[in-house]
Amino acid sequence: MTQVLLAIDTSAGTAVSVLVDGVVASESYDANSMQHAEQIGVQIQQGLEAAKKTASDVTAVAVGVGPGPFTGLRVGIAAAKMFAEGVSAPIYGVGSLDAIAFANSLDQPTLVLTDARRSEVFFGLYQGKTAAGVPTTLLGPGVKKQAELEVQLQAAGHNYLLANTQVSAANLGLLGLAQLAEGTANTSVVANYLRAPDAVPAKGKKVSG
Amino acid sequence: MSHLIRLATEADLAAIMELEKASFGNDSWSRPTMRAELMAPHTYYLVANQDEKILGYAGLSKVASSSSADIQTIAVSELHRRAGIGRQLMQALIEQAAKLTATEIYLEVREDKPAPQKLYEQLGFEKIDRREKYYQPDGVAAIVMRLTIPTTVKSEPVVLGIETSCDETGIGIVRGTTLLANVISSSMDQHARFGGVVPEIAARAHLEALEATLQKALETAGISIKEIDAVAVTNGPGLAGALMVGVGAAKALAVAIDKPIYAVNHLVAHVAVDILERGKLETPTVALLVSGGHTSLLLVRDLLNDVELLGETIDDAAGEAFDKIARVLGLSYPGGPEIDKAAQYGDAKAIRFPRGLTLPKDQEKHRYNFSFSGLKTAVARHVELAESKGEQVSIADVAASFREAVVDVLVTKAINACQDNNVPRLILGGGVVANSRLREVAKARCQEAGIELRIPALSLCTDNGAMIASLGAQKIMAGEAPSQLDFGVYSTLPV
Repeated sequence: MTQVLLAIDTSAGTAVSVLVDGVVASESYDANSMQHAEQIGVQIQQGLEAAKKTASDVTAVAVGVGPGPFTGLRVGIAAAKMFAEGVSAPIYGVGSLDAIAFANSLDQPTLVLTDARRSEVFFGLYQGKTAAGVPTTLLGPGVKKQAELEVQLQAAGHNYLLANTQVSAANLGLLGLAQLAEGTANTSVVANYLRAPDAVPAKGKKVSG
Repeated sequence: MSHLIRLATEADLAAIMELEKASFGNDSWSRPTMRAELMAPHTYYLVANQDEKILGYAGLSKVASSSSADIQTIAVSELHRRAGIGRQLMQALIEQAAKLTATEIYLEVREDKPAPQKLYEQLGFEKIDRREKYYQPDGVAAIVMRLTIPTTVKSEPVVLGIETSCDETGIGIVRGTTLLANVISSSMDQHARFGGVVPEIAARAHLEALEATLQKALETAGISIKEIDAVAVTNGPGLAGALMVGVGAAKALAVAIDKPIYAVNHLVAHVAVDILERGKLETPTVALLVSGGHTSLLLVRDLLNDVELLGETIDDAAGEAFDKIARVLGLSYPGGPEIDKAAQYGDAKAIRFPRGLTLPKDQEKHRYNFSFSGLKTAVARHVELAESKGEQVSIADVAASFREAVVDVLVTKAINACQDNNVPRLILGGGVVANSRLREVAKARCQEAGIELRIPALSLCTDNGAMIASLGAQKIMAGEAPSQLDFGVYSTLPV
């Protein structure tokens, strides 16, 4: 049976890819980080059309679980979960930073940074890959001010390359397939926020002077 | 002696009224109501007569645009019961409903009357809902029953509705005007220690609840995902981050099952929910929607094409005010039920708290708008002042007086909206409808004003997916085109 993987990531922009038997058949990326809800349905539909597949052909779904800005990140995960339900296909969670690392050789320590807003970065440090091609994580994923992270890495004696920071759904899909092949695919799809919700328990407040 | 069943005419009014009063006592319809019923173009009334005497009567209502009919009333004189007259009248009405192409017939019956319930069951009606304290002043519950008239053509779309505008993840499934499932997963407990809904927590909870809620809804409805004809989803108003979870989910589901998607307005859906209980929406109607996120008055002339926002809160929502005052009084979250409980033994007239935007000077600009921030401050001041003087504050009295002020404003403005616009009916929606005093006052004042009051079952008043599915189904049945797949979410989406 033909294996058709739908890969989705909304940890930055909106990324969708369809992979047929391990080959990228279509890929799209919308960089706008405020249009996930608008884009997601269109990109899935067009991605399937471009790959000359129908929704019911899809045999598995892979989704980037972050880290990434929460509001956008959730749109992709919600879409992936419901798509998988709709076609009764299994779903796998893939680290969004891991998918960026995957595209690099990782011969040397490689640092992946993405915008975490509030002058912080999401980061992961990788070196080497498994036989199936899955990146080996040295540090992270985490969230920090970039300057603090650099100090920490220097103190630990790490030299590193800076990776391209755009998530590709095609790479995310390929990584998902590599994880499936080596038996490390993650079947529990949980958003990796890395931050607790901003909220403080209510205190009583006086209204009279 | 045999009797005859024939169409009722205006000439039967006196005899019918006599039987009505004998059968229903202080719950009976007035003569003008009965006359209007008999004469209305969408009703069908029959009498059973013997010589000149009316032994029984029964009425059906069926609007041309709706696929369901209602049994409006039925009565048989005490002396002639157990003679099969009721059954004959019912059978004639069912036949007529089928002729008018109704696919379902609804009726309400007193819970304390087992004999008619048994008859309806024999005729094929099934119990689908129960309404607490429906018959007043006796406080007797109503059993809602439905008869499905088998049709060969599938005319009613199966619609799955997704609602994530606030802290409830709701997935509902309807078939046309029939409720199949209404599953709600609430993150309310997670917000308790914050004293109000935290948007980020609500959005996270939606994402986690999606799959289980969908599965449970399908299981409850007893259908497979392939049987769904369309997906409907709330795209506003509400919390943007929360709405996006539902919209992302709904779009992907629609693409996955290759079915159309309908973006739906949350507030209008609160009104559309009535169709699931009554088979249709009587219009025009005023809708008072009161929750932790909304306090709105709508004038609905036509559910799909003519809904007007008459007014809304200019500061806090009523539900928010309950939460905040609960905190002032040291009660827990959510505040509504806690204040309701505390107020039970309090004196509602103990303290005269302000009624926001009800002064003559407010009537021009804010006749239908609400404001609860002044009330909130007044209550807090009252409590702080008493405490600073070392006086004991009666939580019961403060809770009752505060609740009375909120309810008074809500109901007064809703009834003004009905009367100003010559609208004889009011429907309530939103979580604050759970408040016992609101229901009590609304019932009493509507009755006084001759306004028909509709209070959907509480599970349909709070935010839910069934109302979204219901509005989606209405759009489909009216031939509306689906939404384009690139629609967005709008936290302040207008009606």
